[in-house]
Amino acid sequence: MRFTTTTRLVASSMLVSASVFGLAIVANAQEATFVVSSQNVGTPSYNPINGTQLNDAITLIFDRMVIQDADQTFHGQLATEWESTADGMSWTFKLRPGVTFHDGEPFNADTITWWIPQFADTENAFMTDAIESVEVIDELTVRFAMKNPDPNLLSNMSSGFMSIPSPKAFDALGDDFGVTAAVGSGPFKLESFTVGQETVLTANEDYAWASDLSENQGAPHIKTLTFREISEDSTAFLELSTGGVDMLYSVPTDFLPRLEAEDTVQVGTMPGTGLFYIPINTTVEPFTDIKVREAAAFAINQQEILDNLYGGVGSVANTFLIDSLLAANVDPALKISYDPDRSNALLDEAGWPMGSDGVREKEGTKLQVALWTQNGTEFKRVTEVVQAQLKAVGIGADITVFDSATINDQYRKGTEHQLAVRSYSWANADIIDWFFSGQRLGYPNVSMWNDPTAEEMNVAAMSGSRTWEERVANFTTYHEYVLSQFVFAPIYQPVQIYAYSRDSISVPEVVRGTRLQSQTVVDITVN
Amino acid sequence: MTAFAPIRTAIGSPRGGASAAVLVLVVTCALFAPLIAPYAYDIQNLPSANTQPGAAHWMGTDEFGRDLMSRIIYGARTSLTVAVTAISISVAAGLTLGAMAGYFGGWFDRAVTAVVDLTWSFPEILIALILIAIIGPGLESTMVAISIAYLAQFTRLTRAQIMALKNETYVEATTNLGAGHFHIIFRHLLPNALTPVIVAGMLATGDAIILEATLGFFGLGAQPPTPSWGAMMSSGTAQIFIAPWIIIFPGLAIAITVISINLFGDALIEALDIRNRLRSV
Repeated sequence: MRFTTTTRLVASSMLVSASVFGLAIVANAQEATFVVSSQNVGTPSYNPINGTQLNDAITLIFDRMVIQDADQTFHGQLATEWESTADGMSWTFKLRPGVTFHDGEPFNADTITWWIPQFADTENAFMTDAIESVEVIDELTVRFAMKNPDPNLLSNMSSGFMSIPSPKAFDALGDDFGVTAAVGSGPFKLESFTVGQETVLTANEDYAWASDLSENQGAPHIKTLTFREISEDSTAFLELSTGGVDMLYSVPTDFLPRLEAEDTVQVGTMPGTGLFYIPINTTVEPFTDIKVREAAAFAINQQEILDNLYGGVGSVANTFLIDSLLAANVDPALKISYDPDRSNALLDEAGWPMGSDGVREKEGTKLQVALWTQNGTEFKRVTEVVQAQLKAVGIGADITVFDSATINDQYRKGTEHQLAVRSYSWANADIIDWFFSGQRLGYPNVSMWNDPTAEEMNVAAMSGSRTWEERVANFTTYHEYVLSQFVFAPIYQPVQIYAYSRDSISVPEVVRGTRLQSQTVVDITVN
Repeated sequence: MTAFAPIRTAIGSPRGGASAAVLVLVVTCALFAPLIAPYAYDIQNLPSANTQPGAAHWMGTDEFGRDLMSRIIYGARTSLTVAVTAISISVAAGLTLGAMAGYFGGWFDRAVTAVVDLTWSFPEILIALILIAIIGPGLESTMVAISIAYLAQFTRLTRAQIMALKNETYVEATTNLGAGHFHIIFRHLLPNALTPVIVAGMLATGDAIILEATLGFFGLGAQPPTPSWGAMMSSGTAQIFIAPWIIIFPGLAIAITVISINLFGDALIEALDIRNRLRSV
């Protein structure tokens, strides 16, 4: 058979195009783009030891000693076995052999002896406070001698803040660690990081030490994973529906009907670990008066916010802890639920009669307070409703919106804020210590609360408990005291909703753990 | 010719008349918002959030169940107050600075020209954003930022007018009669230089409304619950798939107001026959 020159040219160009197209598909097949939760936009670094705010990509760059499943059980990651003596004063950990950091440094007992002391004098020191010293038994065995029993040790070790960095890189980079580079032993290596914009990760091809929660025990299927930071939920939604990104870590509830209607989008939910609340600055007028604090707290209509802003998805918050924690089971009389009559009576009692314009006043001073919030649709919406609910009992509030990356520095000034709308995501009762300890005034203790009784209860809860049950009891007492002093107002407990493009990636049906972290991400495949 | 004659001529033209009618409507809304608006602008009714336009709410409700039409009517007050106040300050300051620089010349003129040329080389939005970053967000800050952002324009225009006028023989005659500098500037020069500056000020008011809306869109202008067209559009972006009217109606309000100001300004320029003087800057 003879072919004309034109036929040959056409055929060969088709072949070339087909191969280029095929190559492009292969290249695409290994890449994915995820969008971090809008609450995590502006996370300033990937330094687990010094960081006070981390996003979920931290668990992909670094490994932890143990990780926790959704059923609260612990599974070994860099530790293979662990045991504690009956009195809780000693813990022994067997370490996984053959683990190396991204810079080629080995992980062994020496890493642990270097790592634990790094927490001293950092905001995260409470995590390792109970550890007196670390003893090397052999290259892959360490023993912690404890100052006091810490029933929460494994929980701390499963937190992203106790991710283990490469000692060599950490010491060499100093303050730049986590900003210009972050070196761990996790399934992904940090390629680049631009605060507030994106984090690019590449697969760690040497990875062979995933926990038993993951099916994939080797290198991740995704070879290049980009985490984008998008503060506007509608923009993130548009990106997902037009194929610009493959997965959203958080989806606002009002987008649920639209996302569920999209053929190519799969929506999943997980129990929530977060809570929206209003810290009340106890050191500035008028909130030095506990009656005014109590009035502000009881002015918040949690049910109205749940029903109308979140379409009934999630649950109301009446305490400072998420409902799944045992220390959330407080005396029902101490729970904070909307009661405008109580608010009005308290404000009258405190000497703030209603003014003609609907804002209360005392001796010519209006009950007008500063209400801070951060950028992002969800925060702004909740804050505007809170503003209207406060107004309904005669508390005027001026909203100021701050950039999420700078608002914590503003809190540290201590005296300029009065009320704020904030949220946290944490599944442990020690979040009470984090946000209300007198050691952390300004930020994280935005309430600026420094109360001797609370500090005693804090010590008992954080370091005075020998068993888990005792810890729960101590935290419940501490939690009840915090509630009784009205240093915050609870608002809402979200569920975690994530969404991904069915066409581009496959996500395991059951998410392992309490969040979308490494144990699930290594199993995600690109279609 | 009285001062109102050109205005009458402008209104007499078809585009001038139509735009003047729209502007009168907007100003009436701003002045009498509490009487005209069917609902309070700040009362939330969450169960009625995102209601479609209908009999009860002609323009629908926003994400907090507030009547959108009432908020747009009150928003006219915010937009006009900010734009008119800011441009008035800017015109007053620009007239003074420009007249002094043009009349006295020398080092003062060089200094003013250098600063004006420097700010002239940046877009107004950039200058306003920098100023708000320094003084903080809010309605007053927005006014200050906008007035400073437009100052260069009026200073430059006034200076050019004064430079052209100061060599006129009537000025020379007044000087020879022993009149002082300030008498010459404020009694003879400025009144003759005023018309183009006032018209430029009017046209800049349209731009200032857009600038106010832009700052409001970024959350830097009027703070909630005070309605501002820009901020309303900003919150509407989050609801664009659920309640598109939240972004459409404030957008239309801005567009119609600014187009009307520009059309009326154009008609006024024609009536006054000052297009060449405005171009001389």
